[in-house]
Amino acid sequence: MSTVRLASLTKHYGATVAVHEFDLDVADGEFVTLLGPSGCGKTTTLRMIAGLVDPTGGRVWFDDQDVTFLPPRARNIGFVFQTPALFPHLSVASNVGFGLSVKGSKKPAIAERVETMLAMVGLTGYGARMPAQLSGGQQQRVALARVLATDPRVLLFDEPLSALDRNLRDSLKYAIRDLQRRTAKTAIYVTHDQSEAFAISDRIVVMNAGRVEQIGSQTDIYLRPRTGFVAEFIGANNALPGTVSGLEAGIPATDDAPGEHRFVVTIGELAVHCRSSQPVAVGDAVVAYLRPEDLVVLDDDAADYPNVVVGEIERVIFEGPTAQLRVRVAGRELRVDVGGSRRLSLSEGRGRVRLGFDAPTVIPADMAAPPPSPDEVAA
Amino acid sequence: MTTADPTAGVARRPVVSGRRLTDAVSHAYIWTILVLFILPFVALLGFSLTSRPGGSGPVANYRYVVDTFGDNLLWSLKISGLTLLINVLVSLPAGYAIVRHTFPGKRTLFSALTLPLYVPGAVIGISLVLTYNFTYHLTTSMWGLVLAMALGTFPLMLTPIVVALKDLPVIFEEAAACLGATRWQTYRRIVLPLIGPGLSAGLLLCFIIVFNEYLVTLFVHPPGLTTAPLRVFNQIRTAGLDPATAALAVTMQLISLAAVLLFFRLFGTRHLKGTYLL
Repeated sequence: MSTVRLASLTKHYGATVAVHEFDLDVADGEFVTLLGPSGCGKTTTLRMIAGLVDPTGGRVWFDDQDVTFLPPRARNIGFVFQTPALFPHLSVASNVGFGLSVKGSKKPAIAERVETMLAMVGLTGYGARMPAQLSGGQQQRVALARVLATDPRVLLFDEPLSALDRNLRDSLKYAIRDLQRRTAKTAIYVTHDQSEAFAISDRIVVMNAGRVEQIGSQTDIYLRPRTGFVAEFIGANNALPGTVSGLEAGIPATDDAPGEHRFVVTIGELAVHCRSSQPVAVGDAVVAYLRPEDLVVLDDDAADYPNVVVGEIERVIFEGPTAQLRVRVAGRELRVDVGGSRRLSLSEGRGRVRLGFDAPTVIPADMAAPPPSPDEVAA
Repeated sequence: MTTADPTAGVARRPVVSGRRLTDAVSHAYIWTILVLFILPFVALLGFSLTSRPGGSGPVANYRYVVDTFGDNLLWSLKISGLTLLINVLVSLPAGYAIVRHTFPGKRTLFSALTLPLYVPGAVIGISLVLTYNFTYHLTTSMWGLVLAMALGTFPLMLTPIVVALKDLPVIFEEAAACLGATRWQTYRRIVLPLIGPGLSAGLLLCFIIVFNEYLVTLFVHPPGLTTAPLRVFNQIRTAGLDPATAALAVTMQLISLAAVLLFFRLFGTRHLKGTYLL
């Protein structure tokens, strides 16, 4: 319905910087997720887009309209809160019709729209009930119907599923995505849950400490993290600091894919073939990020990987679908996730294993996060 | 544990179980207190039903109330109604400002506003007599009395409203604003109904206090305006205890009781239970 543009959007609370010069362009009908740990400023950003928080600096544009200092009611937005926030003294139908009613629509028109909206979220016939008579998931669906009823330009979601239990979360997140597609509305969604973000977004904005760390598709963020924070926040990762010791032939950029630089990084006594989307020079300090799920336990003779290392199994944690190994390689402990039937044969003993892996991505040392404590790696 | 007696460790049922004894004692206690509290009112009611000299029994007593105390009751109701109106008009915006906005000296202001609760009626009365006589010349007007009542009781209205607003998550107002409601629409359609129980508690408290207020009225009532409590007191002072006076007192009691019952009837909080933080 509308594009959204944030230009240097900034919010200070006293000396605390909640959001620092946030720039973002959201295309018409796009689903963008702000992903980050709690306190990273994602909710504050969303509330500034809604007009519930006044920015300290910067601008918010909907299409060509500067809405920075418009009150929420003048922005024509649909805001879905963490809790359904249904008005407890009004029936479901009155809740859904509230937005139309305050704008002065006629009663028959409201009733018709309410019926359509309730049908859309699968709650036909619930209009006469009171919010307290509905389950948490039903309430959040009513909240969705309520914001869609006013035909908003932009949908804003502030962790709408975090108060629900897991099964409900899974079904409702696809319902949200589906409704957003059917109504072709621009949506900005805030969450700290990366699987949620990966499941429903067109694009993801990873935030940390009030700043944008990376904006990109799911594969961009997972395969080509730009900073150490992104590499470690998305999924699990083994961080291996080292030094670039030799350059190799890379893959030139094409129209379809970004190019790739290939080189060798010396990590302790290992020489690891690595890749990066950014050029590096010999002698650069870098951190290679090696995902536990990308490490493969090899049979003795197989060697189909650019990198093969040998290590001692220190610990085996059987987690059901996967087994987590702690393998000591050249004095470092690596986390290795093993799936398939091999996880069963490994769960018994300890000993030497050969690990193969494709060239891991690297991040310049100055962009890498400080090395995490062992507890964080375990989590 | 191979030779365990199967009945060992099974508690025997005592002849009089401890729980039943506690129940009996607490019930007895509650009823005793209840009777002790109600007794004076029962005595008053009984006295109001006896014959007065020259009259002929209960019916005459209450007819006497309607005939000669009607004006006093009407004055009391009128003063109460106007006081409630002023209290609501002052306390709703004040409470909203205190809870939803931050401004310097907020806590001090709230403490100052609740001050009248702790000031004795006689002190309020004297200060008002002074103020009215020397400053505003309000002594001859009904409004002087209404303002005095409002001054003494509006903290009773303000406090429940503040508490209700504090308990009301701001998210409902935000949701309404995002749905396009103006501040006034949000206030009227969302905030007011949701703080209804608090507001009505304030109304009830104020009504009962103002309706039965004697001391402050004594100081600031204009000539010719005699409220019901004032009349009861005057009557007892001049004519002594009289069944007709008792009947007036009972009538006042019944009006207060009706207000309380009406409150529970109208403003049950049932439909709000547990819904604030869903």
